[in-house]
Amino acid sequence: MKESAISIASATIAIFLTGWVIIAHDLSPDFKQSLASLTGNHWMSVSVIAIVLFILSLELLIGFKSARRFLRVYDISLWSTSLVAVTLIMVLGILAVLITQFLSH
Amino acid sequence: MVYVVITGAMLRGRIKRSSGNIFKLHKKYGIYFGAFILGSFIYGLWIRLQHGESILLSVHGRLGLVILLIVALQVIPGLTLKNRATYRGLHKIMGYALAPILIIDASWGLYNGVIAGTKNLVLLHSISGGLAALFLTWIILEIRYPTKRSLSRARVASYVTVFLVTAGCWIAGGYNYLTSYGFQVKPVILEGPYPWAHDIVMELKEHIFVFLPIIALALSVTLSTLDRDIFLDDTKSRRALTMIAYLALFIVLLMFLMGAVISNAGQTGTEALK
Repeated sequence: MKESAISIASATIAIFLTGWVIIAHDLSPDFKQSLASLTGNHWMSVSVIAIVLFILSLELLIGFKSARRFLRVYDISLWSTSLVAVTLIMVLGILAVLITQFLSH
Repeated sequence: MVYVVITGAMLRGRIKRSSGNIFKLHKKYGIYFGAFILGSFIYGLWIRLQHGESILLSVHGRLGLVILLIVALQVIPGLTLKNRATYRGLHKIMGYALAPILIIDASWGLYNGVIAGTKNLVLLHSISGGLAALFLTWIILEIRYPTKRSLSRARVASYVTVFLVTAGCWIAGGYNYLTSYGFQVKPVILEGPYPWAHDIVMELKEHIFVFLPIIALALSVTLSTLDRDIFLDDTKSRRALTMIAYLALFIVLLMFLMGAVISNAGQTGTEALK
């Protein structure tokens, strides 16, 4: 299969966007409250958002050849490296925000 | 344990052999592993005796004894028997059975040690994480030492990993957070001497555990759709898949560590508030 990295690319996009949603909701209490009101708990809303983003990215990449070509989803090395890098950067970013908030209180 | 299993699998031809005397290595790692298990069991026995309790009263102790017996049955005949051909089948079965038993016992011991309670849901959550780590290690080994049947085995291992990570880690952990942690443990940690254990460690854990099922699912989908010839011949693809499996394993182990820190802070908080 030439485009075997479709799901890896989708995971990378989903984690990148979810990471920003998490950072935004940690920085903005109003946004956190609006997320909590969606499902009853903010992390449940974030989980739902992550799943929806993953499925949407997957469908987008499966449905549009131009998107696959533009994002080079045939390159499994590129996307696995991106997934590792994006995940670690997001983990460190969230950690930095949480430490800053803890120290500022 | 991982080295013993790898060298054992190499001897049986399940995974590709590396250079060197594999049998000698397997024997050496087996002795080290046996010594470690014996040491752990003696330590556990000593701790229980200090509290005036029998080691066989706890499930952790009973499982520890089973593990010690299996290890003895693995190592001693291997060193003493001259003709090991008749013993080989049983040796293989016990060797593969030892890994999951050890993971379950270690998870059980960890949570008994830090929680000192019987929270079944937390235990299920912890065991799922431990087993997911084991299955991810299996996937890594299949990818790193490929044979004709490696891809199908790695696929099966990835399906189990997705199930364990989603049902055991994500749903069970989330349910515990909503029904128990938020009302019972969180206030105790915040009032105790280590409030950072919730404000930083738990907050980080509840955020990044969202990433784990997505990574496991992406790995599983990729393995399912990958062509067998590409898997066997293309080193670049295999390296990419190994990298993702390592990432998932790293996050599982990070979750384990953070879970232990949070549980310990909860226990310290409870003692401090008494």
